[in-house]
Amino acid sequence: MAAKRKKSRGENLVLRYLILCGWALFCVVPVLWFLSIGLRPRTEIITPTPIYFPTFSLDAWHMIWEDWPMGKYLRNSVAAIFGSVIIDLILAIPAAYSLSRFQYRGREDIGFYILSTRMMAPAIVAVPIFFLFRNLGLLDTIWALMLIYAAINLSFVTWIIRSYMLDIPKELEDAAKTDGAGELRILWEIIIPAILPGIITASVIAMIFAINEFLFTLLIASTPNAYTMSVALANFTGGSDGIIYNAIALVAFLAFLPVFVVVVAIQKHLSRGLTMGAVKG
Amino acid sequence: MARIELSNIQKKWGAFWGVRDVNIDIADEEFIVFLGPSGCGKTTTMRMIAGLENPSEGEIRMDGEVMNDIDARDRDVAMVFQGYALYPNMSIYENIRFPLRMRGVPKAEQDAAVRRAAELVELTDYLDRKPGALSGGQRQRAALARAIVRQPQVFLMDEPLSNLDAKLRQAMRVQIKHIQRELKITTVYVTHDQIEAMTLADRIVIMQSGAIQQIGTPDEIYNDPANTFVASFIGAPPMNLIEGRLSGGTFEAPGIRVEGLPGAHDGQVTLGVRPEDCRVTAEGAHLGGDVYGVEPTGDVTYLTLKVGESLVEVKADRAYRAALGQGESVRFDPDRIYLFETGSGQRLR
Ligand SMILES: Nc1ncnc2c1ncn2[C@@H]1O[C@H](COP(=O)(O)OP(=O)(O)OP(=O)(O)O)[C@@H](O)[C@H]1O
Ligand SMILES: [Mg+2]
Repeated sequence: MAAKRKKSRGENLVLRYLILCGWALFCVVPVLWFLSIGLRPRTEIITPTPIYFPTFSLDAWHMIWEDWPMGKYLRNSVAAIFGSVIIDLILAIPAAYSLSRFQYRGREDIGFYILSTRMMAPAIVAVPIFFLFRNLGLLDTIWALMLIYAAINLSFVTWIIRSYMLDIPKELEDAAKTDGAGELRILWEIIIPAILPGIITASVIAMIFAINEFLFTLLIASTPNAYTMSVALANFTGGSDGIIYNAIALVAFLAFLPVFVVVVAIQKHLSRGLTMGAVKG
Repeated sequence: MARIELSNIQKKWGAFWGVRDVNIDIADEEFIVFLGPSGCGKTTTMRMIAGLENPSEGEIRMDGEVMNDIDARDRDVAMVFQGYALYPNMSIYENIRFPLRMRGVPKAEQDAAVRRAAELVELTDYLDRKPGALSGGQRQRAALARAIVRQPQVFLMDEPLSNLDAKLRQAMRVQIKHIQRELKITTVYVTHDQIEAMTLADRIVIMQSGAIQQIGTPDEIYNDPANTFVASFIGAPPMNLIEGRLSGGTFEAPGIRVEGLPGAHDGQVTLGVRPEDCRVTAEGAHLGGDVYGVEPTGDVTYLTLKVGESLVEVKADRAYRAALGQGESVRFDPDRIYLFETGSGQRLR
């Protein structure tokens, strides 16, 4: 009886590993495929016959760095993304604190309004936004990108942080109050450290959205001055050279890599954070 | 170091009364214990004293000054929360130090104060840990240390020892009482433990469903209960309450006959007598019944008798033993028999 149960558990384990390996392969193959395209000469990419032993080539690598200001695109991306996340946190943390802690009329409505800004199709506001930034004289700057990314992500960053704050027992703040702490101190010394996983989760998701943002970036950035990685991809599709697949693949891979590294590094917080946020709010 | 007056305090949530008509005048340096069943409003009353909850009606005064609109942080009370409420991201050391930091205690004095408090609650070896890495009892002691680390006007302690083993609880009880007496800090203390209530309190407040049933010294509460609720709440095992008829000073119920009672309350009444005021003897017996259970505890033996339809608890000699179903008679201490009105439960005097 016992032996039988043990055996079936063993089989179960094998099956589980098989499924997990299959899933891992499913996720990772496209990425590796991309990398392999990026590291092959152009002539090998568009042949109709399969190539089993591809030639390794750094053509695309040299090309993106030497023929294009990829370094600048990368810096633009990083600056716009980090800037937007910082703006989001500065605005979202106090907003979420207010929404989760203070009693006032219309609190729920305001919370829902903030969330609802996310429900609109972005294309609807594309044109007004273009004119807005033109009038502000911010077209073709990374400041505009920062603001736009921040605006796009602000609603759900606020919402995630709010749901984390709701999970903090009220007694904790009561204790801090009787100990003599003011609101800001409570926020800074008690609440923020306690919801750090939530803040990290929200920031990472905001970064991912920002990295992938294309529509508004294209609208705002008209010269390499404000190009980011995602828009740079579009550079390789037109022009006299046709579609440069290996360069596209390589740039896409480079854009993907930092996100991947960050997500792996904070994986523990992230998985806990996503489920925690999911149950509530 | 403060007198606390609660007058006509009410707390309502919608149509639900958490606390109703609470009037207590807590003297300076007094140790008050709230006792009552779960959900009777002890924590709520305490939170109103702390300023964490606004009373729906009534006035809270400290040293004569109305406190209703004063913020919790400006009231100078230290509270031990029922759920501990330790700051999860701070070490135990930082937790205990937090109130000192917030109240602007000079840095030089902080360390000594934290270590002294930690020592009193026997947590010196755990100061570097985070609350998450402590057991329930250790967390509770950390919460206690955070309250006693400074000298506020008022201590509020919401079941501060509920999670400790008997030995530690006894030790902490002595510490709390000592600190309170030494520093002369007005203290409000909530507990479910009668021994704690009796040993610590200057006065006990018995609450039920948001209302105060009786306020008195431990002796008054024990010897002179105002109604059946108080009578059965204090004392372990609880007071026997037997319904019967009183006429001409004689109480009668199946298996029970007591003569010589005050005759003014003829009719249906409830007679109360504590197990410790009963003696197993045939001489001048008031009660006869069959042995239903015998529980030796080493110190005393508890005997349960089936009398008519009800069970009566008797505290017998430690050597007492009897077979189930055996007939037995009991005499009450005639000076320690209580009479209560049967419907309302109010004491008849
Ligand atoms: N915020 C609230 N909203 C509505 N009802 C509440 C609220 N807080 C407490 N109550 C109710 O008020 C009553 C008294 O609660 P309280 O916490 O004071 O009880 P307690 O005497 O401390 O009980 P325990 O011994 O279980 O801690 C309870 O019935 C509780 O459900
Ligand atoms: Mg309580």
